[in-house]
Amino acid sequence: MLTDSLKRAGVGVAAGPIALAMSAGGVVVSPQASAADPVVFTVGIGNEVDSFNPFLGIEAESYEMWALMYDQLITYSPKDMSPQPGLASDWKTTDGGLTWTFTIRDDVTWSDGKPLSAKDVAFTLNRILDGGPEAATWGSYLASVDTITATNPTTVVLELSEPNSVLPLLPMPILPEHVWSKISEQQVKSYANEEDVVGTGPFRLVEGTAGGSIYRFEVNPDYWGGRSNLDEIVYTVYKAEDPMVQALVKGEIDFAEDVSPVQLKALEGTEGINTVTGMSPGFDEISFNAGSVDVDTGDPIGNPNPAVLDPDFRYALGFAIDRDQLVERVYQGAGDPADTIIPPAYSAYHWDPPDDVAFSYDPGRAGDLLDDAGYTMGDDGLRTMPDGSPIGTLRLLARGDSKTSLDTMKYFEEWLADIGIESEVTSMESGKLTNVILEGEFDAFQWGWYVEPDPDSMLSYMTCDQLGSWSDSWYCNEEYDRLYREQHRELDESARAETVQQMQEILFRDSPYLVTVYNNIGEAYRCDRFEGFVPQPDPGGILLFQYGVRSYLEMYPVNECGQSEAAAEEAGATGAGDDGGIGAGALVGVGVAALVIVGGIGGLVFYRRATADQRA
Amino acid sequence: MSSQTSTLVAEAEGEPGRPGKRRAGRWRYVGSKVLGSTGALLFVLVFNFFLFRVIPGDPVRTLARNRLVSDEQVDELTRTLGLEEPLPQQFLTYLKNTFTGEFGLSFRYRQPVGDILLDRLWPTLLLVGTSTLLATVIGIYLGMVAAWNRGKVVDHMSTGFSLTLYSMPEWWLGLVLLAVFAVGAGPIPGLFPTGGLHSTDVDPSSFMGGLDTAWHLTLPVITLTLAYLAEYALVMRSSLLDEMGQDYLTTARAKGLRDVYVRRRHAARNALLPTTTLVVLNLGFVVSGAITIETVFSIPGLGLLTTEAMDVPDYPLLQGTFLFFSVAVILANLAANLLYSWLDPRVRT
Repeated sequence: MLTDSLKRAGVGVAAGPIALAMSAGGVVVSPQASAADPVVFTVGIGNEVDSFNPFLGIEAESYEMWALMYDQLITYSPKDMSPQPGLASDWKTTDGGLTWTFTIRDDVTWSDGKPLSAKDVAFTLNRILDGGPEAATWGSYLASVDTITATNPTTVVLELSEPNSVLPLLPMPILPEHVWSKISEQQVKSYANEEDVVGTGPFRLVEGTAGGSIYRFEVNPDYWGGRSNLDEIVYTVYKAEDPMVQALVKGEIDFAEDVSPVQLKALEGTEGINTVTGMSPGFDEISFNAGSVDVDTGDPIGNPNPAVLDPDFRYALGFAIDRDQLVERVYQGAGDPADTIIPPAYSAYHWDPPDDVAFSYDPGRAGDLLDDAGYTMGDDGLRTMPDGSPIGTLRLLARGDSKTSLDTMKYFEEWLADIGIESEVTSMESGKLTNVILEGEFDAFQWGWYVEPDPDSMLSYMTCDQLGSWSDSWYCNEEYDRLYREQHRELDESARAETVQQMQEILFRDSPYLVTVYNNIGEAYRCDRFEGFVPQPDPGGILLFQYGVRSYLEMYPVNECGQSEAAAEEAGATGAGDDGGIGAGALVGVGVAALVIVGGIGGLVFYRRATADQRA
Repeated sequence: MSSQTSTLVAEAEGEPGRPGKRRAGRWRYVGSKVLGSTGALLFVLVFNFFLFRVIPGDPVRTLARNRLVSDEQVDELTRTLGLEEPLPQQFLTYLKNTFTGEFGLSFRYRQPVGDILLDRLWPTLLLVGTSTLLATVIGIYLGMVAAWNRGKVVDHMSTGFSLTLYSMPEWWLGLVLLAVFAVGAGPIPGLFPTGGLHSTDVDPSSFMGGLDTAWHLTLPVITLTLAYLAEYALVMRSSLLDEMGQDYLTTARAKGLRDVYVRRRHAARNALLPTTTLVVLNLGFVVSGAITIETVFSIPGLGLLTTEAMDVPDYPLLQGTFLFFSVAVILANLAANLLYSWLDPRVRT
């Protein structure tokens, strides 16, 4: 990196002042870019990488960088995120799911030239299996795995104590044994993994530190999955959205990740820019207190309103929520009305509620259902408990750090009032809310989840085992738990999917969660520079920050929006924008700054001299 | 007002005829100030540890949410972060580490807190330091001119100008400047970058890298300078106005000194005292950064670092930054006290 920029600086000096100004402005690619110029793809992101060490980071940005630097055994299809061959070209399971055999590719080399073998894979997995800091991130993927052995250079065998249907999914980056075996468990806790990173991935980190604001990657020309059309990827962190969008308009960046609906609307129709609203596999929900208990004794704790403990009551409220209006008003259109906890992006597992039970905005039906369940309207226009006592005021909690959270609950409060139920919204910081949830001191709150490609983890949060841990609704249902264990052991894909759908049906009817909205993510890019992104899920998905790196491998530079790869190649497109003005701008800018400084110093000198004269 | 009376009392008691006693008084003054600062520092040191543990939120839960994480993994993470120990033990470890210059590992970045602070210190110093310096110089000058031309057009213009900038939210001013001078508006071309500290293809430690950084910092520094300006200009203006009625100015004029020298060498010198205090105190706040401007211009400074550490909450990082900010402010305060006694002998004893 050092020699690279020195070289560039040298060229700049030799070519005279204009070139100097250009490099001062950070513009390498001249307007008349020749074929020799590198294809640089610049992405604006809103958050920093928290660690380049795959055992430590948690941010989405970090996962994206690891995926560029390393390969995984199994990757995800762009279409529906189902498992696809990665470093493992093939896999099979025997002994009723107790043995998994992975065949490792034999044509993969590390960036330092050494070949990758099954031993590297076994090393990485064993490191996680052994516990310690490595297990903190990835351990759950190896649930019920007893031993991991490389039986020969291209075969890894996993022996399990009981079947685990999450396999073959093993999303951890595979690390080189000859580098990481030198890093002890103690050292791994603070190992930054930023310099001389040895990986097999399609790109290599050349510049960047955790928490830094610029990350630069260089293409791996020998990538086993085919070389990317890009030469470099640069990520720039923008801490505010407006400047990021401005940078896209100006052409400083080629891609803006996670753009709000308002900004996206403003960008629509801008020449050379394409906007995308992609399905993101996550949902927001209103969760009830379905029965908070002391985990050790089983005695009730907290003070949930008796009404919200009743599944019929909760289900009825599902018809009081106008999801279309939430999407329109609260999410500014960036979302879809939602029903169950497994988003439709995972088409194989998502359960579509049939029309006769599916929620729609129908206060009349909500009222009828409440009447049937005994919550009849009193004389004062408020519904009562089946025994005739007043329901009281439901405590609705919202996260103060999320505008959508607060707005959703405000609407909910109004809709509840429409059907004769009093409620009150309180907003608090999410850390505080977590504590309140664990104490059971609430009736309902608003939050959301991301859902991984394998539904197991999302489903597990609703089991009795998770009470006092990750369960935030305090929901516990024996039948649901039985089905959870069944799907966890089921090796037949379609049989498992059926069970998973059955579980969603139970949750839907019991309504510990009223799922409100499936999230969307806005993205915008310079279509006059790059095309060929692969959405995930396809169609309707996001273009970057997916599960896997397909887009980076398929995309190509163009000269105009919508250009095909062949046409772009013929035209010699390099993805370079017309940046000619910036070089001159930099010169003027630096010139002005220099003038001010020189002027200031001159003034100061003059001032001193004048004083001296006067003294004399 | 009250400080003035107390200095008068002090002077009356000071028995000016005995220099030896005076010097002892000065040392006593310095000693008491240093002692006071040390006390404040020790208080901060203890307070620091408990303050952030009162913040609602569990770092382990924040770091583990939204992932497939078993209870064993949560325990593992708790152990890795050193949170499994009882609080008194954590406190002792914290004290021991702080005194040996260890601030621990950040929960979020898993890097030594000292390294992260250093990384973020430079952008902050460059941005806020430069702005404070410029704002001081320009502000004092503006205040001087305004006071000297009190009631005239220059005064109205400069006071109105500073007040307008003072009441404007910094981030808004930043966004406007960004829209006009970075993106370009109408005939104005986009001269400056939209954010960041340096370009990707320039080595920041080279000469070109320095120029590049200056280019990136121009807009944010201008924004902050404009925002800080008024404070100095207004204080300088009012303290100079106070001095302008004084007899020694009449004497100076009677000696035949030109007006500009009366202003510069007599009036301004005395009027500078309150401004000096302000400047030195503000220097202590330089390191805390400017959160809004760092956000608008995406500058990785200490202000942003602190606000983001709150989300976890990242105890070691928060302790490190808070301690660092406190030390800076306490030192600046001490410096102001000492400097003041040197500039204005009346406050000693």
